[in-house]
Amino acid sequence: MKLVHLVPMLALLSLLGCIGDDFLLDTVDETVRITNPIDSLKVGDAYRFEATYFNKIGLEESQPITWTSSDPDVMTMSSDGLAIGESIGEASARAFTILNTGDTIRDELPVIVNADATSASLKGRTGALEATSSYILEGAFGLRDEGGGTLVLEFGEDYLASSSLPGLYIYLTNNPSTNSGALEIGEVTVFSGAHSYTITGGVSLTKYSHVLYYCKPFGVKVGEGEFDN
Amino acid sequence: MPAALAGGGWPQPKGHGYFKLSQWWVISDQHYTDTGLKDPNITSGIFNTSLYAEYGLTNKLTGVVYFPFFSRALINNVRSATTQELITPGDAINSLGDTDISLKYGIFAKNQLSVSLTGTLGVPLGIQGGIANNLQTGDGEWNQMLQVDAGISFPIGKINAYANAYGAFNNRTNGFSDEVRYGIEAGAPFLKDKLYVIMRLYGITSLKNGTTAGMVNSTSIFANNSEHLTFSPELNYFVNKNWGLSANAAIALRGRIIFSAPAYSAGVFFRLTPNS
Repeated sequence: MKLVHLVPMLALLSLLGCIGDDFLLDTVDETVRITNPIDSLKVGDAYRFEATYFNKIGLEESQPITWTSSDPDVMTMSSDGLAIGESIGEASARAFTILNTGDTIRDELPVIVNADATSASLKGRTGALEATSSYILEGAFGLRDEGGGTLVLEFGEDYLASSSLPGLYIYLTNNPSTNSGALEIGEVTVFSGAHSYTITGGVSLTKYSHVLYYCKPFGVKVGEGEFDN
Repeated sequence: MPAALAGGGWPQPKGHGYFKLSQWWVISDQHYTDTGLKDPNITSGIFNTSLYAEYGLTNKLTGVVYFPFFSRALINNVRSATTQELITPGDAINSLGDTDISLKYGIFAKNQLSVSLTGTLGVPLGIQGGIANNLQTGDGEWNQMLQVDAGISFPIGKINAYANAYGAFNNRTNGFSDEVRYGIEAGAPFLKDKLYVIMRLYGITSLKNGTTAGMVNSTSIFANNSEHLTFSPELNYFVNKNWGLSANAAIALRGRIIFSAPAYSAGVFFRLTPNS
């Protein structure tokens, strides 16, 4: 065999490096989430609740959602989510959906029916980061509604992240296993101390369940933080 | 005559040479993190088809070239294990690879000991690309490396074995940290000098004086501040007087910011001796 024949043969070995498939374990629990919670409902007032169904990979999916009240004497509820305060007391708004498997998934929100006012106190959510890799990631965070369709994601002085990863990005997501379907906030450029990100575009405060740190080039999940509220 | 087939403290005598055509590859689904532990990553690979050449310009001065004339980097598709749907498409790039051009000068040779000094210029012929710009066939920087090798040959019974040690300083540019490189090597011929068995232990320590790894969008084996200590056995078999086959594996014993899977190479070499 001549040397000239070996060159293309060895180059051909490179082409044997074909692109294969990696399978990501990305199953999450299916959920129904009430996305516009209130704390109190004034007797005589009406309030339309909204809820979203997230499928087994954490993506929003159209699914019939039915509503009921835990105590119709206190708060009546139409099947499409319209609540009316009937008398002073406490009742829960219940949203549920029945899957093809026959399983029922629900969310429940306690509401105080009073004589004063209808109000929502949820202006912000909090959580804590934890590393799910051997890279450093820790610290508390909060997501605040600034109004006007703007959210602010804030990290405290105890925030610490590894600066060793190229292409580390931060996301809001309902599936912390992957950045697929997640809202990309931006590339991480601060690796310690207090800082914040402004999120515009009318993202709902309650749409996402987790903050995710993910290294894009390596495809490495670095860590996550679940909202406590 | 050099005790080693190639490299080490021995320059090639004038008119002598060593040429090797080889395929090198690494495929890894995990990497060493900055803490030295292993974490998973999307399966990625690099394949280099290269020519390595040493030629004795004089008895003391040897020209050395490492030229990966075909380099391929790839990353796998990522599919949902839940739905089987494609989450992130895989990708691949093909190009020339980063090339090293060196001059080795024999500064001392007495009895069985030989010491040489090698200056290397790293030429960034590799590229960074791909749909997500996350694939590399090079680091994109010109580096300059100065290396001192000291080799000694010695008999073990009827076998003429050798050992070599080196230390090097690699000055890197474009925000990459400088490196200290080091290694030891021992080899010996068997089967009437037809089979050369070589064992190597070598490593890289980053001085971490560049930008952080997070600021340089390089991955795989090209990440900034990467470090490793690697054990590498090699077999070289002469099929006739000048031609031979070579196979090598490189196993990282520890590392930081680098693939953790073994790398392999296989190739054909030609030893040029006068009148051959």
